[in-house]
Amino acid sequence: MSFSPRAVRLALGLSLGLAVCGMGCAKDEAARLTALKARLKAMTEETATVEAITKVQRLGRAFGYYTDKGYFGEAADLFTDDGTFQWGVDGVYKGKARIRELLTRHGGGSIKDGPGLPFGRLNLRMQLQPVVTVSAGGNSAHARWREWGLLGEYKKSATWGDAVIEDDYVKEGGVWKISARHYYLNFEAPYQGGWASLKPVTTGDWQSAVAKEFPPDAPAPQQYAPFPTVFVPPYHYANGPLKAIQSRAPFTPPRRPDDALGKLEAQADAKELQLARTHSVRALENLQAMYGYYIDKGQWQQAAALFAHDGTYEFGQSGVYVGSAHVQRALSLMGPQGLEQGQLNNYVMVQPIINVSADNRTAKARWRSDVQLSRDGKGRWGGGIYENEYVNDKGTWKFSKLHYYVTFWGDYDQGWVAKPFPMDPPNTKVPPDRPPTVVYQSFPKLQVVPFDYVHPVTHQPLMTEQE
Amino acid sequence: MLNFMPRSIVALVWVALCASVAHAQSANELQAVQQELNSLGTRIERLQDLNEIQIVQHTYGYFVDKAQWHGLADLFAQDATLEIGGKGVFLGHDRVFEYMHKGLGPLGPRDGLLIDHQQFQCLPTVNDDGVTGSVRCIAFVMSSGGWGHNYYEDRFVKENGVWKFKKLHGPFNMYCGYKIGWLDNTVVNTYPEKFPPPPDLPPTVIYLTFPNYYIEPFHYPNPVTGNPMPPPSPRAGGEAFGR
Repeated sequence: MSFSPRAVRLALGLSLGLAVCGMGCAKDEAARLTALKARLKAMTEETATVEAITKVQRLGRAFGYYTDKGYFGEAADLFTDDGTFQWGVDGVYKGKARIRELLTRHGGGSIKDGPGLPFGRLNLRMQLQPVVTVSAGGNSAHARWREWGLLGEYKKSATWGDAVIEDDYVKEGGVWKISARHYYLNFEAPYQGGWASLKPVTTGDWQSAVAKEFPPDAPAPQQYAPFPTVFVPPYHYANGPLKAIQSRAPFTPPRRPDDALGKLEAQADAKELQLARTHSVRALENLQAMYGYYIDKGQWQQAAALFAHDGTYEFGQSGVYVGSAHVQRALSLMGPQGLEQGQLNNYVMVQPIINVSADNRTAKARWRSDVQLSRDGKGRWGGGIYENEYVNDKGTWKFSKLHYYVTFWGDYDQGWVAKPFPMDPPNTKVPPDRPPTVVYQSFPKLQVVPFDYVHPVTHQPLMTEQE
Repeated sequence: MLNFMPRSIVALVWVALCASVAHAQSANELQAVQQELNSLGTRIERLQDLNEIQIVQHTYGYFVDKAQWHGLADLFAQDATLEIGGKGVFLGHDRVFEYMHKGLGPLGPRDGLLIDHQQFQCLPTVNDDGVTGSVRCIAFVMSSGGWGHNYYEDRFVKENGVWKFKKLHGPFNMYCGYKIGWLDNTVVNTYPEKFPPPPDLPPTVIYLTFPNYYIEPFHYPNPVTGNPMPPPSPRAGGEAFGR
């Protein structure tokens, strides 16, 4: 057997080339595969975070539906075995059985007879405006909620309830549960007279009748006075980066090679964007809710910090303020930073329609706000629609445009039909940078606030229907 | 020299073979990555579905506010049903429009007539099939007449990638006037003859609103225990689920 030198050189060269290329390409592919796997791991974690937010929202809302109808055992079952419930300044109740009895006593049900409410008992406790933050490990979370209550007994009492809830959650065996609830009652106000008729109470001197008959297991960690005193329930998101309003920074993926791995990389790019956009929906819900909680308490500086530096603010017919510094000045027209005793400034943020742009760089949302005000001892109702815009600033969502269209303002005692108020004109002391973008009148005039989104089913632009 | 050459060629071929074995290994890995991407894709789509269902429910509320009945009817599948209060069941997209247009008034807002149907506390569920879902939601009504609090237990269907109402069921909890609220002038439930048009089918459930007790069954089990909803206790005042 013999080989010609030429054939040997050829074979040698071919084999070498094949081997070197094989090793080189394999090395390159291995690095790309490792990078892709790392991305998938990060995407899996992010998916779990967004799922956790939706599950926490679900827990809070399920709680409300149970308590509404006297399903207090089912509500208590949403807690961990050693879960706690702090009711205002009354104190802390520990464990499911005690929480069940606490809710039953406050709601007017019966432990012995099971779920239901007696004739004439109203216990509607609407759970609204969640800000949900999932911890880094993914096994615990916090949320802030607003409870808006319609409470009372037929022919005996009718009461408005207002509270802020700060919750801790844990994931046990794959199931999210409430581990600690801090229920900061702000007021229970009689329907007749409303919140503006409430008189100041001394801190620590307003334990509920329930607590006197059914003492808590531990004292409340904090004493405070309810409205008309202005008390700010502690925020779980007070310190550190505002994870709740972050999703992914805008990202333009590179052109992927036209090979098997490249096809997977391109798929991952598309799914990553899809995930980022759905995460952004939750971050935007959190942002708007957070804004509402700051406005409630006259925290203008914190609220203005949620705007992009060139963000705009327009309220009713008061004109447009440009830039976060001017936004803060415009907000300050509602009252001093932190509000004064007797000032109520509740802006309830509800009914979002959030549309994130295809590239996850901007978003638009429609929201509704109900407004409960008190100034100089007079109560007021308000209602309106937001058509807002947002910008993804390196992964953190901010307001680029906030526009509130007033539907109505009405006197509390007489109602919006008997005594509606017109909108305020532009302020002369702190004038806006631009006049109102849309001129209109509030109730009794009514008009359709233009929809900044297409019909969700037909995908056609929404034109006003009018006969 | 003669001995050296075949051996070196064998060695080189062996190296090349190793590279192709590595290639085969990575093909398996690529397949695993593809599977992971697929399951992740399903989870992400479910999250989007929850949001899209919520958008349909919330849009319904904005359309009621301003009597945008064509837009509202288009939120419903062709074979969808609608049942609100005690009025009975309306069958199909066109009857949904008729219920609104004949029953509640002409297209567009009318000055002085506030009918805000605010959608609160939306709890959406997507079923494992990915094409059916549900919502429990509240309509908190602020109107020229006063207040209302209703539930929704709605069903949704995803047709050609778009979520629509398959069934809207809106049982009433409480309606009252403004002056003294729910202290005592509460309004009773509606009934089929209360206002035109008549329904296609009688109400699926007969119940009384506040101050009476009625609970619409939950579409979901307890999120923590997984237990189905127990019926309300008549001894506690819970008059079962209606008729």
